[in-house]
Amino acid sequence: MASSLLHPPLHLPPTVALQLSQQAPALLQSTPSSISPYSVSSIWSAAESAELWTIYENLMVSCLRTGDEPSAHLCLQRLTARFGADNERLMALRGVFQEATAKDDAALKTVLEEYEKIIAADPSNMPVTKRRIALLRTLQKPTEAIGALNQLLESSPTDAEAWAELSDLYLSQGMYSQAAFALEEVLLITPNAWNMHARLGEVLYVAASSNEGGADKNLSESMRRFCRSVELCDDYLRGYYGLKLTTKRLLKDLATNSRQSKSETGLPAPDRKTVERLNELATAKLSEIVRRNLNGEKGWTGYEKADIIAAQELLNRDATPIIR
Amino acid sequence: MAQVPVQTIHRDPQLFYWILIPITVVMILTGVLRHYATVLMATTSKKQDLPAIREQRALLRGINLRMNANVISAPSFQARKDYMVSNYEAGTFLKEPEKKGQAAPNPMTDPAAMEGMMGMMKGNMAMMVPQTLIMGWINAFFSGFVIIRLPFPLTIKFKSMLQAGVGTKDMDPQWMSSISWYVLCIFGLQSVFNYLLGSDNAASQMAQQMGQMGPGAGASMFGPGVDPFKQFQAESENLAVLAHQYTLEGVEDRLLQTVKV
Repeated sequence: MASSLLHPPLHLPPTVALQLSQQAPALLQSTPSSISPYSVSSIWSAAESAELWTIYENLMVSCLRTGDEPSAHLCLQRLTARFGADNERLMALRGVFQEATAKDDAALKTVLEEYEKIIAADPSNMPVTKRRIALLRTLQKPTEAIGALNQLLESSPTDAEAWAELSDLYLSQGMYSQAAFALEEVLLITPNAWNMHARLGEVLYVAASSNEGGADKNLSESMRRFCRSVELCDDYLRGYYGLKLTTKRLLKDLATNSRQSKSETGLPAPDRKTVERLNELATAKLSEIVRRNLNGEKGWTGYEKADIIAAQELLNRDATPIIR
Repeated sequence: MAQVPVQTIHRDPQLFYWILIPITVVMILTGVLRHYATVLMATTSKKQDLPAIREQRALLRGINLRMNANVISAPSFQARKDYMVSNYEAGTFLKEPEKKGQAAPNPMTDPAAMEGMMGMMKGNMAMMVPQTLIMGWINAFFSGFVIIRLPFPLTIKFKSMLQAGVGTKDMDPQWMSSISWYVLCIFGLQSVFNYLLGSDNAASQMAQQMGQMGPGAGASMFGPGVDPFKQFQAESENLAVLAHQYTLEGVEDRLLQTVKV
């Protein structure tokens, strides 16, 4: 179980997070309460390992998630004892703790002021800068968060995480072309990230759905993004889901207006036959994935339940008119 | 063939307790001490301020753009290229924009570079000083002693290695002098230190040698003495001549060809 504590706990389902934090008291008791780098005892006791500190950090986040504040505080204390209170990463972690234990918005605002004080003293403190942006987002100030994030990216433009966050913020504000731009920057840093290709496809699809004017060029671009993502990762459910959605939309659009507009991206619009074949491919693949997953076949059980249900729903939505 | 009689030398058993063990113990203790001295003396690498980070990452961004240009569409690439090239040429990303075009500063006068050199000096001193002292101590007290006999036969070539400080012509190379024992300890205690101090200890010489070679490769890109403006200009030229080929072109046909249901 300790192995799952070595991974960042951000995307764990709630049950696993609860399980982890329930182990916290036992784990905290079994590990020594303080390890200092210069102690004489470290000559004969086991040397400290980097994993221990990762475990403490992840344990703290899991505990905060499940409301076990005393254990989280103990983790934080031990980390502080080892690395000192002015360690950048720890400053951010302490901020996470304060944010999690804050009772109301006023308490969060004092945390925000504290962050601003730290950043004013040392503008290059990246972890705290990022915490501040996250807190701005929590406080429902997306425009300020976008401004701060742009400032961060101005000085550190190779930060994929920050670009992805910026894209998410832009998307929440309905600024689709900006969101797509930020995602393109993420792709420039990690060119083979299939989930990012699919994400960009999703953003483009949303953009195409929202405005009627330039819809078709975004739509074919979005379809190609999904194609690329499943090319990079076989049986990627999100990619096939998006591929099916976009091809369906494209077929409908191609039927209503036959004019072939050259898209902004310099690529010609796909011809009808290809789109049809892609639609068939996506449908077949999606039903294969759903079928195999529901049968619990080996190697096909890794999909998230919500994704499978959504795919099933999409397939059913398509199937009903044919029966009728 | 006449059997060579086995050489026997009657040694005082006290030699064992008063030379062999002291040398070994002293070597281990100095290793441990050196580890902690290095840990204490180590300067935390100085934090870079924001403009310096920006300068480096702006260059990295240009390199990323050049390497991975194919994942974005031609108009997107064109817009980014124009932005990067014009900013590179104007020197907006520089740490000190007003200083562009000036000759690179002398690394000896740059305080940041001096600090790095001081750190290396300290590391070397921590190695050199104790070794010189112990060598002197052994030379002064224990030189000329034959202390142990190795349990396996050796050829004559090993004589100069194992009997340093003992100038006897006919002695079997199995016999070992105190200074040679010291030299053997220097190289042989590696695993003992690994056991005592953990694998990344400062007492091991291997790590030090690797350390001297290692960072040179990474640091040369942004190291002292490299003019960032020149790097920017080179990168902007690289970007300007790049031929762009969009990966998404024909992706649907590729997919249909490869994926069979």
